[in-house]
Amino acid sequence: MRHNILLAFSFAKRDFKERYVGTGLGQLWYILSPIITIFIYTVIFSDFMKMKLSIIDNSYAYSIHLIPALLAWTTFSTILMRLNTSFFEKANLIKKINVPMYTFQLAIVLTELFLFFISIALGIGFLLIVDQPVTLTFLWMIPLMLLQTLFSLGLGVILSLFTPFFKDLKEAIPIIVQLWFWMTPIIYMKEMLSHKYPFLLTYNPFFYFADAYQDIFLYSKAPSLNYLSIMIIITLLSLFIAGFLYKKMVGTIKDII
Amino acid sequence: MKKVLEVKNISKIYKIYKSNFDRLKEIFTKKAYHKEFIANQNISFDLFEGETLGIIGVNGAGKSTILKIIVGVIESTSGEVIRHGRVTALLELGTGFNQEMSGYDNVYLNGTLIGMSKKEIDKKINDIISFSELGDYISEPIMTYSSGMSMRLAFSIAIFSEPKILIVDEALSVGDAHFAAKCTQILKKRKEQNMSIIYVSHDLNSLKLLCDRVILLSHGEIRQTGSPEEVINSYNFLISKLNEQEENMQIKQMDKNSFGTFDIEITKVTIRGKKSDSTLISSGENVTIEVNIYSKKELSNMTIGIMIRDRFGQDIFGTNSYHHKLNIDFNKEQAYICSFDIRLNIGAGKYSITAAVHSEDTHLENCSHWLDHATDFEIAGVVGNLFTGICRLEPNIDFKKVIK
Repeated sequence: MRHNILLAFSFAKRDFKERYVGTGLGQLWYILSPIITIFIYTVIFSDFMKMKLSIIDNSYAYSIHLIPALLAWTTFSTILMRLNTSFFEKANLIKKINVPMYTFQLAIVLTELFLFFISIALGIGFLLIVDQPVTLTFLWMIPLMLLQTLFSLGLGVILSLFTPFFKDLKEAIPIIVQLWFWMTPIIYMKEMLSHKYPFLLTYNPFFYFADAYQDIFLYSKAPSLNYLSIMIIITLLSLFIAGFLYKKMVGTIKDII
Repeated sequence: MKKVLEVKNISKIYKIYKSNFDRLKEIFTKKAYHKEFIANQNISFDLFEGETLGIIGVNGAGKSTILKIIVGVIESTSGEVIRHGRVTALLELGTGFNQEMSGYDNVYLNGTLIGMSKKEIDKKINDIISFSELGDYISEPIMTYSSGMSMRLAFSIAIFSEPKILIVDEALSVGDAHFAAKCTQILKKRKEQNMSIIYVSHDLNSLKLLCDRVILLSHGEIRQTGSPEEVINSYNFLISKLNEQEENMQIKQMDKNSFGTFDIEITKVTIRGKKSDSTLISSGENVTIEVNIYSKKELSNMTIGIMIRDRFGQDIFGTNSYHHKLNIDFNKEQAYICSFDIRLNIGAGKYSITAAVHSEDTHLENCSHWLDHATDFEIAGVVGNLFTGICRLEPNIDFKKVIK
């Protein structure tokens, strides 16, 4: 068990080092892609389309609203999608070498977590550029990001266990994830939903994370106890279900992939 | 002797479902939705320190399944495998190689996968590269390698990971003769250092050379365990039976391995040196091998063959009337003698003769009688020039001054 977790760390390190092998810019891509995301949404929405939010006194208010949740969503959806197909991708290995599947899944999550931290750090860098106050409250980001990653690990593992049985899930999950994105107030404000469809917020686990990030970035406001306990409960629940199903199903999956 | 691996009552039953949905339903409910396919049934054996165990069986006998269960990549339905040490397997070529990474990086990747630490790999990487003989290719990506090259690399990593148990599944067959010899050599050396090997191959000769003990699997069960020679003979019987349409094959219970339909029976096989007039023959002497046959049925277009084997059971020389384009027809209730005049240009040692009567060129078609160990003889002393080795080629040696 310990060996396998250490192995996951070394896979993550390797994955991180080797993802851009052969590209001209190399590991610069890790910083480049979030920078470009930030840049696009700032320039297009704040400068060209003049989308202004009057919630705070900053001409980049909309970008500040958008950036943390968007970057968090990118990590969240990437983890879900990578885990979803992980059994197929590693089929070759797990059928021939005795390394448990969760090692590879853990490695995926670790890589993405690290990239998540880089992108959020760049997002905070953007705040400094546009004169948005960065306070100690921002330290809340760390536990929130860890919770979100654990939640996506649980959910992703559950999905990955069912995909070998129903190959349709391989195609369906990306579409569902996209739908989920548009049902979460990331691009738009939560007020636009809270009047008409409040249940879309209440039953959307990612909403709590997105809202907490936005509160920190816009108002330096720490997450409420209510939010925190909801996040912890859904995370633990997803991990527990994932662990239970994994134990039950992984042996059979090895027979069918 | 110390046990390094204990396989206890392993069974593997593959469940066959109409759809994956049925399979999923069964995981969570008690109801059965499947038909069963038995891949392994009640397999038990122990592997001892420094022992080489061979596993043979026809395709579909369950060899790969039991290996995968031993390695731990699939779970058995019941039973238990106890491993006392690192198990490394060469189940298929290039297992765990990343095609886009260089050979060098793949040593690290593959090494970690089979349980080596980074320190351990750092220490051994030079040995691994030099054993694989890849030279400068080691820094090229694996996708540019030939299958032989990736096999060499995979084998080198496996052997230098110094496992307690090495499992080799026909992987060696793609290497060239030079590398195969090198592999055999290092396997023997590791064996002396107490590594245990499980070797699966259809190459009967290498099984005889490498293994201390062989297990014969048939329909997922252990059919026989014993010395290579004896098990491989049963295997021969098994594959001939597979080809036999009628079910009238039988084994005559003798101390020798003898099988066939017995429509035509080999009653006696003798060998006599022309000069020595005994079964103690000098190398290079002419001998007559006589195969006495009694035919119960009228059969035409048959073949009579003999095979000389050394004491390890290796085939030294075999021939038959088919290859000599001799047509053989048998009449009903009639005795025959088929004699082979041969100059025995083989090295000193003890040999046995196997004889067979069948149709076409191998015993796989209509085997009337196959008789192992029909008789023995010994080669001692040499007629003519001395030589070493198992066969005597007749060179002309010339020596002269080079005149510029």
